[in-house]
Amino acid sequence: EAESSAPAAKKKKNKQRVLMLSSRGITHRMRHLMNDLEALLPHIKKDAKLDSKNHLHLLPELADLHNCNNALYFEARRHEDLYMWAAKTPNGPSIKLHVQNVHTMDELKMTGNCLKGSRGILSFDAAFDESEWGKLTKEVFTHIFGVPPQARRAKPFVDHVLTFSLLDSKVWFRNFQIIEKDPLQPNGPPQVSLVEIGPRFVMTPIRIFEGAFGGATVFSNPEFVPPAVVRSAVRREKGERYKERKL
Amino acid sequence: VDVVPRQKLEINNIVALDRIRESMQLDPSLPWTETLVVPYPQRIEIDVHDDLKRELAFYKQALHSATAGRALAQKHSFPFTRPADFFAEMIKSDAHMQRIRQRLLDEQAGIKKSE
Repeated sequence: EAESSAPAAKKKKNKQRVLMLSSRGITHRMRHLMNDLEALLPHIKKDAKLDSKNHLHLLPELADLHNCNNALYFEARRHEDLYMWAAKTPNGPSIKLHVQNVHTMDELKMTGNCLKGSRGILSFDAAFDESEWGKLTKEVFTHIFGVPPQARRAKPFVDHVLTFSLLDSKVWFRNFQIIEKDPLQPNGPPQVSLVEIGPRFVMTPIRIFEGAFGGATVFSNPEFVPPAVVRSAVRREKGERYKERKL
Repeated sequence: VDVVPRQKLEINNIVALDRIRESMQLDPSLPWTETLVVPYPQRIEIDVHDDLKRELAFYKQALHSATAGRALAQKHSFPFTRPADFFAEMIKSDAHMQRIRQRLLDEQAGIKKSE
């Protein structure tokens, strides 16, 4: 019925709603990152933690129950590694990323501030357009991180920029406040400058699936090394050093 | 015992990626004000491990997008600047901002002391 009730000649709109939830076992830092994103993006609907890590196919249904057409799922592993699933529901695609170097807004180093729920400018650097997976990632992030104009609680002004930069085959996320006055000349000509608000994080794409939380893999990152492998390599190296010393 | 070399299978199905993007992408005829996306025409090529240079590159990207976005907003007669008399809840509370200010003051005092 939903399809037949949509009139064809209506004004085109960008309608997005995002369901955000996490798995069990997230740490305080991951929880704060989620809270920051929820505060920043008024079209996010937060839900309770998902009980099972093996039943991700429940997520599209859950998103549908909340009238969401996107899902952002944070999966914590071993209480230290954070993975993020960015998915379009119900038909896909979904991108699985490894999240590292998280700094939340609570940290006192970042002195910027912005309206709660103002729509931010989305900035993508040119590297996204150089590969097919980059273009797809850019499109999915535009849906999820771009606040649609009719989002409830959205404020009518623009005072921050969300930047996504592809560097070292990782996606770097930053959030800056836009200041239009020169603090030294408050009455002079408007001069745009920026102050970082936070949060900060780096995402390494791992895989892109055709469906929502499943389906065929259409991209896998050959450069991705699982964090557990990195840790065990470090430990092994230490062990080797010890062995040599003993001999 | 021979170690079996495990090679990672690289998958990059360009045709499928393109098809998926076409099927889900937003209507390109949407006005700019619906998405507020401002692409940055350069790619960032610097040493990732040089924190200062890297953050400066991100700052430059954001600054470019902010100025370009402001110009685009004017073109679309879309409200951009917040008027001085518009008050609403901010993302960081006053108490939080006070803590940030206090920290800055403390840092400055520390520098002065050591001079």
